[in-house]
Amino acid sequence: MKKPGAAGAVLSGKGLKWALVALIDLALLYVVTLMYAQGEIAFALVILLLGGIGTWVFTSEKAYNFRYVYPSLLGVILFVVFPLIYTVNVAFTNYSSSNLLTFERVKQIHLAKRYQSGDDKYTLALYQSGENYQLQLTDKDDNTRAFVTEGFAKSKEKLRINASQDIQPAGDKLAMRNVIKMRTSLKKLTVVLPDNRELVMTSLREFGAMAPLFTEGEEGSLINNQTGSVAKPDFETGYYLDENGKTMTPGFTIYIGWDNFTKVLTDPGIQGPFLKIFTWTLIFAALTVVFTLVVGLLLACLVQWEPLKESGIYRVLLILPYAVPAFISILIFRGLFNQNFGEINMVLEALFGISPEWFTNEYLAKSMILMVNTWLGYPYMMILCMGLLKAIPEDLYEASAIDGAGPIQNLMNITLPMIIKPLTPLLIASFAFNFNNFVLINLLTGGLPNMIGATTPAGATDILVSYTFRIAFGQYGQDYGLASAIAALIFLVVGAIAWANLKATRSVQEQ
Amino acid sequence: MAMVQPRNLKYRVWAARLFMILFICIIMFPFLMIISVSFRSGNFATGSLIPDNPSLEHWAMAFGIPWENADGSITQPTFPVLIWLWNSIKISVLTSGFILLLSTTGAYAFARLKFRFKQSMLTSMMILQMFPAVLALVAFHTIFDKLGNFIPWLGLNTHGALIVAYLGGVTMNIWLIKGYFESIDNALEESAAIDGATPWQAFRHILLPLSVPILAVVFILAFIGVIGEYPVASVLLQDMDKLTLAVGSKQFLNPQNYLWGDFAAAAVLTGLPITLIFLLAQRYLVSGLTSGGVKG
Amino acid sequence: MAEVKLVNLDKSYDGGKSYVLRNINLDINDGEFVAFVGPSGCGKSTLLRMICGLEDITSGDLSIEQERVNDMPPNERRVGMVFQSYALYPHMTVRENMAFGLKLSKIDKKVINERVEEAARTLQLEPLLDRKPKAMSGGQRQRVAIGRSIVQEPRVFLFDEPLSNLDVSLRVQMRQELARLHSRLKTTAIYVTHDQVEAMTLADKIVVLSPLAEGSESNLEQVGAPLELFHHPKNLFVAGFIGSPKMNFFRGEIVATGSETTQVKLETGEMIQTYNDTSYAAIGDKVTLGIRPQDVLTNAEENNVTGTINALERLGTETFVYLNHPAIVEAFTVRIEDHRRREEGESFKVGLPAESCHLFGANGQAFQRTRAPQFD
Repeated sequence: MKKPGAAGAVLSGKGLKWALVALIDLALLYVVTLMYAQGEIAFALVILLLGGIGTWVFTSEKAYNFRYVYPSLLGVILFVVFPLIYTVNVAFTNYSSSNLLTFERVKQIHLAKRYQSGDDKYTLALYQSGENYQLQLTDKDDNTRAFVTEGFAKSKEKLRINASQDIQPAGDKLAMRNVIKMRTSLKKLTVVLPDNRELVMTSLREFGAMAPLFTEGEEGSLINNQTGSVAKPDFETGYYLDENGKTMTPGFTIYIGWDNFTKVLTDPGIQGPFLKIFTWTLIFAALTVVFTLVVGLLLACLVQWEPLKESGIYRVLLILPYAVPAFISILIFRGLFNQNFGEINMVLEALFGISPEWFTNEYLAKSMILMVNTWLGYPYMMILCMGLLKAIPEDLYEASAIDGAGPIQNLMNITLPMIIKPLTPLLIASFAFNFNNFVLINLLTGGLPNMIGATTPAGATDILVSYTFRIAFGQYGQDYGLASAIAALIFLVVGAIAWANLKATRSVQEQ
Repeated sequence: MAMVQPRNLKYRVWAARLFMILFICIIMFPFLMIISVSFRSGNFATGSLIPDNPSLEHWAMAFGIPWENADGSITQPTFPVLIWLWNSIKISVLTSGFILLLSTTGAYAFARLKFRFKQSMLTSMMILQMFPAVLALVAFHTIFDKLGNFIPWLGLNTHGALIVAYLGGVTMNIWLIKGYFESIDNALEESAAIDGATPWQAFRHILLPLSVPILAVVFILAFIGVIGEYPVASVLLQDMDKLTLAVGSKQFLNPQNYLWGDFAAAAVLTGLPITLIFLLAQRYLVSGLTSGGVKG
Repeated sequence: MAEVKLVNLDKSYDGGKSYVLRNINLDINDGEFVAFVGPSGCGKSTLLRMICGLEDITSGDLSIEQERVNDMPPNERRVGMVFQSYALYPHMTVRENMAFGLKLSKIDKKVINERVEEAARTLQLEPLLDRKPKAMSGGQRQRVAIGRSIVQEPRVFLFDEPLSNLDVSLRVQMRQELARLHSRLKTTAIYVTHDQVEAMTLADKIVVLSPLAEGSESNLEQVGAPLELFHHPKNLFVAGFIGSPKMNFFRGEIVATGSETTQVKLETGEMIQTYNDTSYAAIGDKVTLGIRPQDVLTNAEENNVTGTINALERLGTETFVYLNHPAIVEAFTVRIEDHRRREEGESFKVGLPAESCHLFGANGQAFQRTRAPQFD
């Protein structure tokens, strides 16, 4: 046996492993500390926990076998389980585009607000030397006190610069019309005097002093330095309220209990659309499974029918809709069904003189969705059925032929009973997939046409997930909390489907 | 043929054939149409299946080449299709690679090693795979928004975030590979162990080479799955030149800026390679697809 | 070249709640060919897998060449194993299959080639060296599997039912090849089989294992040379397991004890004299009397029992007569060589020669036979 030297031992095997684990742990600890410092306790804890388990798995001999599963479990936990839990958590908050930040951050934002206290006023003079500008600010009350800033360039960015009495301006003093040209740049400037007072442009000729608008009072309240009134945080609504009870934006995120769920189930502007969409989601998923199964089974039978010699070519062509990425096919249909310039309406116009409103009529839109989804989904069913049909012993058909059965009787008495059991879990999976078939709805109709009387945007063709998506990421007000509450309700449905699927799979395996 | 043949077989075959051909015509209509549209000039032009005056303007747009119109004006490409394609390929290849790595080791453990909670882990994975990422988009958005504050390359609008987010999709693949590993005789690895191989060597020299077919299937399935993934990408990516094809393509059909012809060319250009990969590998993919799950 | 020693070996899969193997003590000498036999479920394959390291040893000691190897992984034990399924690597040619282990241990390429060629010559595999396993017959695969362990020059050869996947004629041929191979290589070999003919023909020493009964001390029933097991089974289990067709057993009790002869009364009242040492037994003890079907006589004057014919199988050279008898345990089979015509239902009187009788006490242990045939 070769004995590796000391250096070799560090590089190979144990040494290298420990070094790597230590390195990763250090990096993780750094991130955890950062997160903790910024108040992201949940994230810090999750990373600490998973990192700790990981360290144990990769250093303890006892956990050797877990080393193979840990990385994939980590993926599942971080990007399947954690988001699910997180979503449920958000469902109990008012997290939305108006209440995006934590209370601490919102307080900081308010405390950072400035107003012109109006005490000190300075006349401005602008000097230019090449690309370099300097401001001279002279105290209105005391002409001898003049501050000159450091040089700055013309820019559209916010800029803080220091000024002092010791600097002499370089270059030429600009005339008023040139100062006006520099107005946008000057407005972005904050001039910091040696005693830390801040000045901003108040008029074309003047700079004035700024002071914090609020100072922090007791229990997170804010005292307005300008008016002396007190603004208090309201943990019922997630906003600061001024003395008149008016809300001050931005709001902060708070836990609001079951409010989102109550809204979904009772608020007429949400409950109405929600129930309609829920019903349509069920109908859509069920009909899709039925249609794709019927078409797929029929084609599978035909393709596997021996007298049809050229069935190999059919097979490839029939699978084509499945081979093309779904997002491309769906967008193609979106174009083809276009009411004004779509090829489908042109054909219909030419043949029958009709031009259906595929995207504005609710029922036509729904039929279009079902047609497109059947087109997209039948090849999968066909492939499944082909596999299952092959497994049916040929002699069953021979026996039934001797008994004088026709194709329909064969289908009802032999084929269907033989394939329905192994097919059940796959049909349930297909139902679950279509229940959440966001891509189809979002790319094809985007949920349109819109329902009337809904508080949040809701469409006649929306299914639950696309409805949720529009609430969360739509153009008008992003209500993450409400969206998460609906998502949490969908979890229940999906959980039930998953359970049914598990049962069905078990019963197939037990056969 | 042992089948009992009905007398009117010949008519039935012809009826079936006719039905098939008609059906395939309907199925193929969108594809033929889109190819035809990609060669028509203008974005609103109508015409027959074979364009009257074929033009390559949409193809030039798809390839990012400025096109000189008949009246001498120059049309600049509206969208960076090739960049989108490159983004998609980059993300898909990297993701599929990581998924392959994770699911192979995971599947090995589930198929061959003994450890606690194995059965309950498998059951939970089976249930979890039914929850699509689209249900937790808010969580994804927030998680990566916050993560980006600490680790910039995992923030919103980065490809890193997208790749990492897709790693949750290993469960299906673990099932596929696990099933395949279990079909390989365990005695092979035992034999290798007696031949002097360490567990890692047995895995590397015996099990892996024998599993190449399923690993290829998993890679291709993951690749196709990622390249067509829309919801997560649409939430995480924002900048025009960071988008993937699946997210970007929708921009063509914006009602305010309807670019039907340009879309057609881009769709054919990007859809064709993926379709070809699928069709070439379909014989091997079918077994993987039918053993569970539905294409996303 | 190595001896293998098993001391108080136990195997349990559930942390000691129940055992598969219990108290296995065994000395295998250098160069010996040992067969493990027993019905399915007796743990013989498990024992073999414990020796090569594929199964953990729950307790006890296993040593090869005086070195304790309990905690050594299989790849360090330097043993060779031939699996029931052959376990040839399907993606490698015969040559690569045989060279795999040598390559892993980084042996010089030339040496590898020499060893592979030599093993191929020994096993007549030379023309097949560049084929893949799936292009070969069962017998050829079997030989490759053996070749793969030969090239490793292991300390011990382990065979796990290596012939059970072959058809009958090939099995006989391979059996003889294995015997020749062992006599030439003289490497210690352990061979697991459920086929006692293989065990009897190949082994220097047979180890009989039984499925572990509740409360039993050990499931190692007997260790010994093949003929010793045949003529002097230590207990009912071995007596019933070794020999085909199975030994017949009668229920009875001792009516006269002795150091040379014993008098047994069957439950039917028939009196049988046997040559067994029952000096430490008592009159009235329940016993089981055993006799092999081929030892039963049709023309004896004494030690007779009478049964009724249940079924007959006339095979030409011999005839098997299946009898009903009230004192019999399970079945009463007689092998005779005359060709007289007999009818089912007829009563049939046969003799049990005293020197061929085995006698077992109520605890299943044998009483020493005093006039058994001599063998080397």
